[in-house]
Parts: sequence; C-alpha cells; structure tokens
Amino acid sequence: MLDKIMKTQLFAWIDKRTGAEAIIKSQLTEYPAPKNLNYMWNFGSLALLVLVLQILTGIFLVMYYKPSAEATFGGFTVAFDSVERIMRDVNFGWLIRYMHAVGASMFFVVVYMHIGRGMYYGSFKAPRELLWIIGVVILLIMQGAAFFGYLLPWGQMSFWGATVITNLFGAIPVLGEYIGQVLVGGFAVGDPTLNRFFSLHYLFPLLLAAIVGGHVHALHVVHSNNPDGIDLHKPEEMIPFHPYYTIKDAFGVAFFLLFYCYIVFFNPQMGGYFIEVDNYVPANNLQTPAHIAPVWYLTPWYTILRSFESKLLGVAAMGASLGILFVLPFLCRSAVRSARFRPVYQIMVIMFFIDVIVLGYCGHSAPTATLKVVGQIATAYYFLFFLALPILPKFEKTKPVPEGI
Amino acid sequence: MTDQADQSRRNFLYVAAGGLGAVAAGATIVPFIGSMLPAADTLAASKTEFDVSTVEAGQLVTIQWQGKPVFVVHRTPELLKQVDGHDDKLKDANSEAIAEVQQAWMDTPETRKYRAIKPEYLIVVASCTHLGCIPLFKPSAGRKDWGDSVPEDWAGGWHCPCHGSYYDLSARVINGSPAPHNLHVMPYEYKTDTQVVIG
Repeated sequence: MLDKIMKTQLFAWIDKRTGAEAIIKSQLTEYPAPKNLNYMWNFGSLALLVLVLQILTGIFLVMYYKPSAEATFGGFTVAFDSVERIMRDVNFGWLIRYMHAVGASMFFVVVYMHIGRGMYYGSFKAPRELLWIIGVVILLIMQGAAFFGYLLPWGQMSFWGATVITNLFGAIPVLGEYIGQVLVGGFAVGDPTLNRFFSLHYLFPLLLAAIVGGHVHALHVVHSNNPDGIDLHKPEEMIPFHPYYTIKDAFGVAFFLLFYCYIVFFNPQMGGYFIEVDNYVPANNLQTPAHIAPVWYLTPWYTILRSFESKLLGVAAMGASLGILFVLPFLCRSAVRSARFRPVYQIMVIMFFIDVIVLGYCGHSAPTATLKVVGQIATAYYFLFFLALPILPKFEKTKPVPEGI
Repeated sequence: MTDQADQSRRNFLYVAAGGLGAVAAGATIVPFIGSMLPAADTLAASKTEFDVSTVEAGQLVTIQWQGKPVFVVHRTPELLKQVDGHDDKLKDANSEAIAEVQQAWMDTPETRKYRAIKPEYLIVVASCTHLGCIPLFKPSAGRKDWGDSVPEDWAGGWHCPCHGSYYDLSARVINGSPAPHNLHVMPYEYKTDTQVVIG
C-alpha cells in the first residue's frame, strides 16, 4: 500500500519539495526495530492514540462547556449546568463527555503500563536516559492537565480537590502564599480559579503534543530497548517498523478499544473510580465532603503526602517521589538492563509495582489508623527501592546475558 | 581583518547585548504573572456584617467572608470549660506562632486562651491550616457521639475529615495533627453589642 503510493507522480512531486521519501524510509519502512518486542511495547502507541482522543473530544466539549462559577436560577452554577446540559441535551454530548472522562483514566492506565515496562526491562538505562526524562516530564504535564480538568465540572470533588492541592503550595516557605494566590486568583478557589484552570487545561495537552514529538524523536535516535535489554547490532535481529510493528500496534489498538468502549458505553463512572460520585453534587464552598480523595491515578502520591505529620515534609516527600523518577537512570548502576537477568532487581521492581498499588488503595480510602501505618510502610518502600539501586550491583549476581536474539 | 578587531571589546558587546535582551525578556514576565494575582475587585476590602445573637447556644454557623468560610460558634459555659486543662497537648496554646493566628486584642492569658473578643462567641476562619478543608464540629467531649473518629481523650472541638487534624474548642491545633497552626483569627470588631463587622 505505502510503497504503491510512494511510486505515484504526486508523491514524487511532494517528495521533491519536502524530502518525504527519506523521512518515511528512515522513520518507518527502514526504521529498525528489535524482532523480539513483546506486547508490553504496545503501550507507547496506545498512549498516543488516547492523547489524540482526548484532544479531539476536548475540542468538541469546549463548544458547549462554559467556565463560570456564577450562580444560575436553578441554584447551581453556569459551569455545572453546562456539563449537565452536555450530558442531557447536546446531541451525543453524553458520549463525547464519557469518552473524555474515561479517556483521562485510560490515559493513565496506558502510561503507567508504559512506565512499568520501562522500569522492568531497564529501558531508562544508557543510552536512553534523556528519553526517560522526557517521559517523566510528560507524566507531570499529564497529571497537571488531569488536575486542571477535574475542576471544570465544578462539583464538590472538583472544588475541594482543587482547594487541597492549591493549599499544598502554601507549605513552601516564603513564596508559598503568593504561589497559591497566583494559582487561585484570589483568597479561595472561586470563579477566577475556574477560568484559569480552563485556560491551562487547554494549554497542557498542546504542550504534551509537542513534548511527545520530542519523546518520539529521542526514541528514534537511540532506538527501542527490547525484553532482553541487550544492544542489538546484527541486521537479522531487526525488522522494519512498518509494516511489522504498525500492524502489531493496530492489533493492540483494536484490543484496547474493546476495553475502552466497554467502559464508555456500559460503565463510564467505573463505580466511582473514573468519575467520583460526589462530583455530581454542585460545588459548595461552605461544606467539605465527608471523604475527599483524588481520582485513582493520583492516589499513590496523595498517600505519600498523608504519611507525614508535618505539612512541609508531606509536600516535600510528594514532590520528591515524583522528582526521584528524573534521576532513576543515574541511580541504577547495574550493567545489565533487563530484570530478566537481574534476580534481585526483578523481585524489587515487582514489589515496587505492588507497592504503588497499595499506596493507591490507601490514598483512595478514608484515613484510618491501620491504613496510615500501611501507607507509611508503602511510602518507605517507595523511596527505599530507588535508594537501594546504586548499591544493588555490589551484591546482586546477575544471570548471563545472551549474545543476541 | 580579524587581527585588527579588539576581541575583548567585541565579547563585551556580545555579553552586554545578550544580557540586556535576557533582562528585557525576563521583565515581560512581570505583567503576565501579575495578571494572575487577585484582581482589584477581588482584593477590594470586602467586609461582612453578622448578628451573633442569631446563633443559638452551643450552635455553629458558617458564614462567608471574602469567599472564605468563617465559623461563628456560640460557646456555652460548659463548652468554655472544655478549653481548659490540655495546654500540654497543643502545638501553640497561646497563639503566638504566626501573625495570622493572633490579633492585637489578645493581650491577656484569658483572651489568648479563648481566642475571642467575647469568649462566648468564637469567630475564626473555617479553613483547616493543613490543606484548606472545612473541619467538622464535634463539640461534646469523649467518644460518645463521635466513635473512634476522635481520640479517646477528646475534649471537644473540630476534626478535619481530609487528613485528620484536630482542634480544640478555641480552634487551637492539637499535637499529632498534620495542620501546622491554629485556625486563623481574622480582624473583626463589635459595632453594637451583638453586631459584628468582619474584615
């Protein structure tokens, strides 16, 4: 198909003016990819798909959404009512909004799998450090975009979630109060906050799109890692990205869409995990809901925040838990990449994945004495995992690494 | 040609021009960040008037001031007694840690303990000093009404549902809470015997 198009006169005309043929060859049809990539390597392309879906559905939602906290005759607010109007009166509005809300959660599902893949197979190690660091930037911007977006329906969870998170910045010495005011645009979350969060919620995905471009570019310079985590040199170990991995990615997309559409059509709120029940109560600045929890994808970091009695320490630990991801490539000193040949690291990294799920569970539940201790232990392991990496090669006996694949 | 040029002069000009450009570019940030600070109408000193006699004995009313929630509590003599006897469990019994938790009229041990111009009417900003949630009012002592959501030696006060901070009935933060400070006391004065002007 592609080779036929590339032989047409029209393509030749375009190629002469853009160099399209060289780009397609170097990036697709002659771009070498390891032949042994498993299905864990599908999540990168899935993340790109979800990003496109989010931008697309978002553009259509904005045609009806109104970012205003002004009260309406119904006793609610303009923003809350406009979301309900999208749900009830706008043609296919329910579908587009559920695609967007479910898409936000699925974005994190896919990206967390992608990050887990990178950690398990050592994809962050040299020469892919910068590729990993760009990825961490993408994660932070995603979390920011999700946080800004969650305020827009102007429900109780929107309001109080934003109150809690913007108050975090108050813990920063000296500048904290001003940073809080710059974020909120007043002395408490209100109409100015809603307007600026809407603006930033539109800005961040555009930033994402640009930085994802940088991520893919960096990947195409250093090339994909592989499940064995070894450097590949021989041509017979490689296959061209197109058509082999484009078709495999397409298969992954079909499989993903099966799940995505099931959730969108049959279970869009996912039992309060994807859209929290309290968010169907209009924002009330005089009453805090009995139990505040962020959406599931932010709960691990919320637990880390809660595990400290001092506000400043909690905020610092939460920042450090994300910041430490930036230096992961430099903390890990082992010469072997893949956990397949690192028995101790393999156990540690699987425990780390379980640990993050435990952190997430603790953050989603109401605080009790037991869960607090569980959360503190999980927080300790989260940091211990990273801090043990530099000394791990001293006593870890790695298995022999294969010569090739 | 290059031999005749004074390289050090040239370098100076490069650095000076580049530096000035960087300063100018940096200065353009000022209006943009400035625009994100609270606007003039938001800042305009808004005052709230409230008649405390409308609050029944033992009752708590939440009112709004500058978009922030404010507690007005009518403390009965019994509730006032519950403020005594646990100073050792407080982070800041005398409200001295930061400016926001005190006012000029807090000049006696009594006013520092009750944190109110008239002890029976406590008026404080209702935002938990941890992360801004509104604490729940749990005035009676002990666990009888509140179960294990409060400690065993509960003297009555507030419990924040978000991260479990505790305050006593003078809104002073109890040790072990994540909140760093007592609930803030905003400026207010009595215009008449019962009419309060907040702000």
